[in-house]
Amino acid sequence: MLVSEYKSKINSIELDDYASLLNIGRKLKKIEDIKYNIRIAFLGSTSIQLITSVTSALLTKYDLFADVYEGHYNGILMDVLDYNSDLYKFEPDYIVILPDYRDIIDLKPGILEGAESLNKSLDLVINKYLNIWNKIHIKLPKSHIIFSNFVKPFYDCLGNLSCNYDFSQTSFLNQVNMRLIEYKTSYVTIIDMEGLSSYIGKKDWFDECGYFLNKSGFNLRYIGYVCDLISRQFAAFIGKIKKCLVLDLDNTLWGGIVGDVGYNGINIDPNDPEGEAYIAFQKYILELKERGVVLAVCSKNEEENAKEPFVKNEKMVLKLSDFSDFIANWDDKATNIKRIAKNLNLGLDSFVFVDDNPTERELIKNYLPEVKVIDLPEDASLYIRSLNQAYCFEWNQLTKEDINRSKTYEDNKKRESLLDDCVDYDDYLKRLEMIVSFEELNVDNMPRFVQLVNKTNQFNLRTIRYNETEISNMMEDSQYKLYTISLKDKFSDYGIIACIVLKIDNNECFIENWVMSCRVFKKTVENFTIEKIIKEAEKYNCKVVRGEYIETEKNKLIKDLYIQLGFQSYCDNNKKEFVLNNVKNYKQKYFVKEK
Amino acid sequence: MENNEIKEKLQEIFREIFDDPELIIEFKTTAEDIEDWDSLTHMQLILEIESEFNIKFTTTEIKKASNVGEFIEIIKEKI
Repeated sequence: MLVSEYKSKINSIELDDYASLLNIGRKLKKIEDIKYNIRIAFLGSTSIQLITSVTSALLTKYDLFADVYEGHYNGILMDVLDYNSDLYKFEPDYIVILPDYRDIIDLKPGILEGAESLNKSLDLVINKYLNIWNKIHIKLPKSHIIFSNFVKPFYDCLGNLSCNYDFSQTSFLNQVNMRLIEYKTSYVTIIDMEGLSSYIGKKDWFDECGYFLNKSGFNLRYIGYVCDLISRQFAAFIGKIKKCLVLDLDNTLWGGIVGDVGYNGINIDPNDPEGEAYIAFQKYILELKERGVVLAVCSKNEEENAKEPFVKNEKMVLKLSDFSDFIANWDDKATNIKRIAKNLNLGLDSFVFVDDNPTERELIKNYLPEVKVIDLPEDASLYIRSLNQAYCFEWNQLTKEDINRSKTYEDNKKRESLLDDCVDYDDYLKRLEMIVSFEELNVDNMPRFVQLVNKTNQFNLRTIRYNETEISNMMEDSQYKLYTISLKDKFSDYGIIACIVLKIDNNECFIENWVMSCRVFKKTVENFTIEKIIKEAEKYNCKVVRGEYIETEKNKLIKDLYIQLGFQSYCDNNKKEFVLNNVKNYKQKYFVKEK
Repeated sequence: MENNEIKEKLQEIFREIFDDPELIIEFKTTAEDIEDWDSLTHMQLILEIESEFNIKFTTTEIKKASNVGEFIEIIKEKI
């Protein structure tokens, strides 16, 4: 079997179809042209072979081909505490740790014991896992840990009293899960296995017979869901995330056709069960927007009719200003979604499309396969469930910049109208009143730095990705200098929009990494940035500054950047290297002011 | 249901799980005879047989069932 064949097979299997998943998991090793590009270790207290195999299979959806290490049954401590163990020899990029409540349940406090005893128990448990994380981090500083929280069993001998006492098994495990969040460090990501087991339902999740016979931690029927939870996290790590939600209007955000019944005739009535369902769906979408998802409308309507409910119908939860783009016309939706992508400068692969009309959905599936299409059920009361359970917006972290993103698009509209008033582009840039700050990277800005370095594709000169641990290591290494650049203008605060890594070596400064958000292209920020880089180089007594451009599918836009900035080029096979031999009195023209 | 009829159905399940469309099982077939029949595929067999015949095995039964004939006996009792 070839990779392409394997991928089309795996994409056609539903998560419920555990038998096919187990089957295809076994076939992964038989792919002829497989090239491993990620190393993952799986450690667990219950049997993990099938989790390893099905997760590896699902990861191929994201073009991740995992070379895996499988820990021994109940061997977490054995692998981690022994520095000569095979785990460390394997040198994984990621370590997935799947503990089980039975590992810690004997540590729970006794019946009617007080707070002191409870805290002692919780400390014991947390210290046990902090120690494990720490040991791994010392030995494998570049590896990232994925740690499952504890799935509470369905039984508790205290019955309903269990939720009335903090010493009960149930309360104890709840508190352990809370402490995991509290104590987790930057190189650990928790996955919510407890949440998944509740969604499935614990009476089905647990398979006691399977556990006693085979040490399965859960009913194998749900292997697809478990492994999907794990593999989605990997998709987030490598930046394969969705950012923009494109919504239809009629019978998607409200009941009825606004073109026929008018803005007051649509069903968004809180006293009608269907109307209430649409209101609930709008509220859910608003929450998505507030966590940083960009919203856009794509509707077959007259623009005026389409916009009217948002402006004139008071029952509407969503307002026009919640949308970063709004397209209502009679063109086909594939064309319109491409327009939205262009307007927002976002890749089609970051789009999710929601439409009640199956014909429109098929069209998008066929013509824009990179767009994630939600198959809405007929019943509007199930819309939230359908969108939520597609788990489109699994991100690595939330940053201030994400939350403000949709506001930035709104402000872009104001910028465009300013541009219309200006005599030329320079005049426009001046009137934006842009203020930049160039700072050394500090710990508070770490999440945004990691995110920008890993997800930026267009303005990215070398497309070298680092995880948080690698960045922390560079921060401690005096050879490396790391910087963030923030930008604001009269309309909005963009936050951190560029990241730089310089490597200082023998009076030479190498621009190891330089990425910038596509939202601030053509604002002369790059001219300001290079001038600052040269000044920093001078500060560290560098006579020469070198840069490199490594071409990818997506970064062609900046292939001549260094030439434009006054560097000289010399080509070396596929690599393009550039050099600036005279750092003295280097000047650039730009329209940003330093804070 | 006759023994042979159950065996036919089991054979389909075995073929699917062991990914061998030509696999032939006999009443005496055990894990020794099929290379991939280990504790993990055993659990899969159980799951598939349970869904196919709409039955539920007990822990004791799963532990004991070591050849195809024994599976058939247990299934016959339950349906």
